[in-house]
Amino acid sequence: MSKNINVALIGNPNTGKTSVFNALTGLKQKVGNYPGITVEKKMGVCKLPNGVKANILDLPGTYSLNTTSLDESVVVEVLLNKNDKSYPDVAVVVCDVENLKRNLLLFTQIKDLKIPAILVINMADRMSRKGISLDVAALEEKLDTKIALVSTRKNNGVPRIKELIADYASLSADPNVDTSRISPEYFSRLQKAFPNEDLYKLWLVITQDVNFTDIEKKRIEDATSFSTKSKTELKKLQHKETVLRYQFINNTLKETYKVDLQTAKGLRASLDKILTHKIFGYVIFFAILLLIFQAIFDWSTYPMDFIDEQFAIASEWLKNTLPPGVFTDLLAEGILAGIGGVVIFIPQIAFLFLFISLLEESGYMSRVVFLMDRLMRPFGLSGKSVVPLISGTACAIPAVMATRTIENWKERLITILVTPFTTCSARLPVYLILIALVIPEGRFLGLSYQALTLMLLYLIGFGMALFSAMVLNKILKIKSRSLFMAEMPTYRLPLLKNVGYTVLEKTKSFVFGAGKIILAISIVLWFLGSNGISDDFKNAESIVTQRIEEQGLTPYSKNYIQNNLDGYSEEGKQDSIRIMTPILKERARAQEIAGYKLEHSYIGYAGKAIEPVVKPLGYDWKIGIAVLTSFAAREVFVGTLATIYSVGSDEEETIKNRMAAELDASGKKPLFNLASGISLMLFYAFAMQCMSTLAIVKRETNTWKWPLLQLLFMSVFAYLVALTAFQILN
Amino acid sequence: MDTFQQILIYITLAMAVGYLVWKFILPKSLVRGKKQASKACGQDRCGCD
Repeated sequence: MSKNINVALIGNPNTGKTSVFNALTGLKQKVGNYPGITVEKKMGVCKLPNGVKANILDLPGTYSLNTTSLDESVVVEVLLNKNDKSYPDVAVVVCDVENLKRNLLLFTQIKDLKIPAILVINMADRMSRKGISLDVAALEEKLDTKIALVSTRKNNGVPRIKELIADYASLSADPNVDTSRISPEYFSRLQKAFPNEDLYKLWLVITQDVNFTDIEKKRIEDATSFSTKSKTELKKLQHKETVLRYQFINNTLKETYKVDLQTAKGLRASLDKILTHKIFGYVIFFAILLLIFQAIFDWSTYPMDFIDEQFAIASEWLKNTLPPGVFTDLLAEGILAGIGGVVIFIPQIAFLFLFISLLEESGYMSRVVFLMDRLMRPFGLSGKSVVPLISGTACAIPAVMATRTIENWKERLITILVTPFTTCSARLPVYLILIALVIPEGRFLGLSYQALTLMLLYLIGFGMALFSAMVLNKILKIKSRSLFMAEMPTYRLPLLKNVGYTVLEKTKSFVFGAGKIILAISIVLWFLGSNGISDDFKNAESIVTQRIEEQGLTPYSKNYIQNNLDGYSEEGKQDSIRIMTPILKERARAQEIAGYKLEHSYIGYAGKAIEPVVKPLGYDWKIGIAVLTSFAAREVFVGTLATIYSVGSDEEETIKNRMAAELDASGKKPLFNLASGISLMLFYAFAMQCMSTLAIVKRETNTWKWPLLQLLFMSVFAYLVALTAFQILN
Repeated sequence: MDTFQQILIYITLAMAVGYLVWKFILPKSLVRGKKQASKACGQDRCGCD
């Protein structure tokens, strides 16, 4: 039986490398057209026509093997280390047909490493529109390789790539360029000192700024028989190498690649002029943002209400169908309520990612990155910081990883530290429920107050990230800055399939990633809320009944009964009022018992213990518990409240209604009012309520110092802002 | 029936607590096997400090 073969998928950023990976492996990795999508190597398996399985390794995009950043060094590390289990039997170099000249630089370098290489020319569907003609046979001969002309968007040419990979043994491993021409004397000395090593490999090890674990750069530097050159001299030789390569590429393309410039000019230039204009560009971008937030609120109301009601009905159904008992209560009040707190946000999360995906797919997102670069410079960030900050609107974890494209360490550190301020999708459920509760439904210039508030929260997050970057820039004293280079991909009609995948993947990862944690926390919370050891808990029913007999129902219960009876009074149904009054009184009594038990349960005592800390912010002990549990992940906040408010409740009520009905300590006004709501939203806007982000920051900085400082700063700042907001608004 | 439901509660609770401990408290090296930290450093010792 034949062994699996290793295939390295390599290419410049924006060449559709990830699309080729998806087409080969069927893995649904995110496809984007701005740098930083693949910052780590990703593996997938592809079955070849000859029955052999190929391990496809998707490597980060790089312009050449002369690396400057951590993600690019991953590529060189894989290609140089023959002992690495990922070392490729064959390299598949993906190029963009419109940028073939620049893309071939990397191809010639890989060929010179004597790795069999296949050239995949992607986006072939645009050739006729762009006036490009290509003599594939002649190009194959000149580059001494096999070529697959593909269009992953149209799903053309992928079988050809598989055939070429299967037949990789017949590929030539001869180099394209004689690298010793860079400096014949130097290369001759190098080869003499290390006769058993490959010359170009040695050259790459010497010129890289990275210390490869298994390549042993130090061994070369320590070799007594060979003296290396100074950094400046090496840089000069690197430039010479690039010139040599471009001479070879120019000669190759002169006879094989033609572009009719008249055809190539089109709508793109005119669109770019408007979309990246220093005034209109921002106006259009903010208009698009407004449209997105308006849509999130207006369009998703109906499915959200539907989901909320269905969960309330399902909870009631479970209670009526299953035998009564504590486990039934756990299912109905703990598990179902917790899951409901996640599922309800699916429509809004899906809408958000639908729009983000449309912007990415159309090529507009790269223009946004370019636009924002101007805005970032005064804050000491490079344009490359924009990608993590924009990715942060989905999740801080991949965003922090995307900072690997930033070469300068201090700049990268600042971006890592400020990225968690951008509004991630986990904050969205918290904002949405609070906005729905405390912001009125009116409109301003056709835009709802609620949508405007949401947009404001996104801008606050982004603004805070910039402000913190400016402060950190002053503290850390950055002397040098990395250059920002971004490609402007061609505008294209978004492919529904890709957009659909992104929406599905993002929603799935929200539901299943956060859902498991929320479910586990809901179970623990329900247990802690339904059990207690004190006499007050055990005798709750008799204590509350006696209190009602002596002092009557609480103002909250009276309010609850009155609200329910008001509907009957308006309709003049006196008989209904007579029948409903004792029923509602009994329900109110049951709720008071449940409330009393909750207050004297384990969770009640824990909540009361932290209440002095959260009370100045306008929160009660229940919100305090939700803030505490949501330290694991922000979205746990809503699930926690849904569980706490469901414990002991026999009512078929939605999460929003339960929260809206809660009264503050005075029993006169809603607990979730404008002051406490704004305070909570600001707290979540600034607080580092995400253990996974802390873990990833630790991994990326190799120390606990930065994540702990980040946690401390963000938590203290969030507390102070929330405190100030509540005290002013109250 | 009550005892049976109580047993189910404790099993579910143990699973939930176990999952949270596994997710947030146990070091990842214990869960997935020790992984060697990357020693690749970029310019300015990027990723090494």
